[in-house]
Amino acid sequence: MLHRRIYQFLIIYFMALTLLLCIKYALGLSSYVIPGPYEIWSTFGNVLRRYMSDVMDTLSVAIIGQIVSVFLALTVGIIGRQTTWFGSFVKVAAYNIQAYPIVALAPIIFILLGDGFLSRLLIAAMICYFPLLLSIIGIMSEPVTDIEHFYRVTGRMRWQLEVKIRAFENLSKLTTVVAGSATLAMAGTIVSEFIAANAGIGYSIRIALYQSDLSKILIALFLIGITLSVYQGLLETTGSVVKRLWEIR
Amino acid sequence: MLDCQNITFRYPNSTTDVFRNLCYTMIEPGFNALFGPSGVGKTSFAKIITGDITDYDGEVRIDNMLSPLYSYNMERLPGWSGIGKHLKKITPAEKQDQMNELVQFFGLAECIDSRFSQLSLGQKNRINLIRYLLQDFDMLIMDESLANVDERTREKIILKIKDMYPDKFFLYISHNVIEVSTFCKEILVFRSAHKSPQTMLIRGQDHRTGRILNKSRLEQTMLEIMNAS
Repeated sequence: MLHRRIYQFLIIYFMALTLLLCIKYALGLSSYVIPGPYEIWSTFGNVLRRYMSDVMDTLSVAIIGQIVSVFLALTVGIIGRQTTWFGSFVKVAAYNIQAYPIVALAPIIFILLGDGFLSRLLIAAMICYFPLLLSIIGIMSEPVTDIEHFYRVTGRMRWQLEVKIRAFENLSKLTTVVAGSATLAMAGTIVSEFIAANAGIGYSIRIALYQSDLSKILIALFLIGITLSVYQGLLETTGSVVKRLWEIR
Repeated sequence: MLDCQNITFRYPNSTTDVFRNLCYTMIEPGFNALFGPSGVGKTSFAKIITGDITDYDGEVRIDNMLSPLYSYNMERLPGWSGIGKHLKKITPAEKQDQMNELVQFFGLAECIDSRFSQLSLGQKNRINLIRYLLQDFDMLIMDESLANVDERTREKIILKIKDMYPDKFFLYISHNVIEVSTFCKEILVFRSAHKSPQTMLIRGQDHRTGRILNKSRLEQTMLEIMNAS
């Protein structure tokens, strides 16, 4: 799983890079517009350490934001699965808020909370929370009738058991959703850094943009991609280990 | 006692009734059956009895008994524990011996440590039936609960159930005319919607352990059921 994700990213990244270089040579563009392989390589050597630390900074914010989102989405999703007025309210609210581009609220957050860690965390969490919530509500509100029937008719069903049955039956789906939300959390953090923060890889990309230095941006994209692939691969592996352990308990 | 009077039911958004003015009474405990081709409303009727379907006309009275349990053949056990562990957990302490007896008799002793997903369809249905038999119940509806079980084992199981639970009400939904004719006391035959009356009650042979089955009477019952349906 982990290797596959990294291979897939490398293939796509180098295909895109090759295409960019083909355009450069076909149209005879200068290295100022699209840098050549040598410039990219030397920039790689110059900025690797700094950019790697920026990516780790961004990833740590994204992971914390994602963890907060997952716990919040699980809590609200478990409450929202019920067919009560509150459950319906949570579902409708989630659908409507999810339809709004949360990133557009980022300037308000920066105005209110400044450009530090908290703003980045809040934007990352908000961006990955609503899609997560919708998926978790969808999974948790779908009855697994052929298992739940017995517990219902014999009066043994408790909310904890209901959640356990639905989580167990949809563990692969939940793992995919959580792994997918890592991209959203990372995107949220980068966007927030790009808009106004003073740290992280998004901030470094903004500086590179002001310098019109495409090679730096390409290196940043490479490091983001590799780090995210490893992180998502680890999440998927953890999901399958949890499933296996649960099944052989 | 179960008493259903003038039950009329149609599916939502349908223009035709599944059945009209259906009457059925079970006064005494025993092993009775609902029989008929697919789609005539046997399961719907069972769900009306259990209260899972409520939008019908007519009256269902259940006197002096716990609300009926409905089991069906596609049910599953949770996959996070083995069958033995699961059965122990849902069996009241005073019925643990009964559980062991049923597991042994239903031919499931060797797969008690397996996961539900590792069993054959017939084994799955037998395990599912066992867990219902271990609950406190007065009436159990068995909707094709022995599907995919070989004929010999099915026969053994039905006879065992009749021996072990002589004071309980059973409603067995099956498509097997020989089986319902042989083992059931009364068979409510559901007929197609255009036939009148829509249901007919046929007396079965109510075969039990130690009794000799009268072959010619059995054949007559089977003929009656076939003619009725």
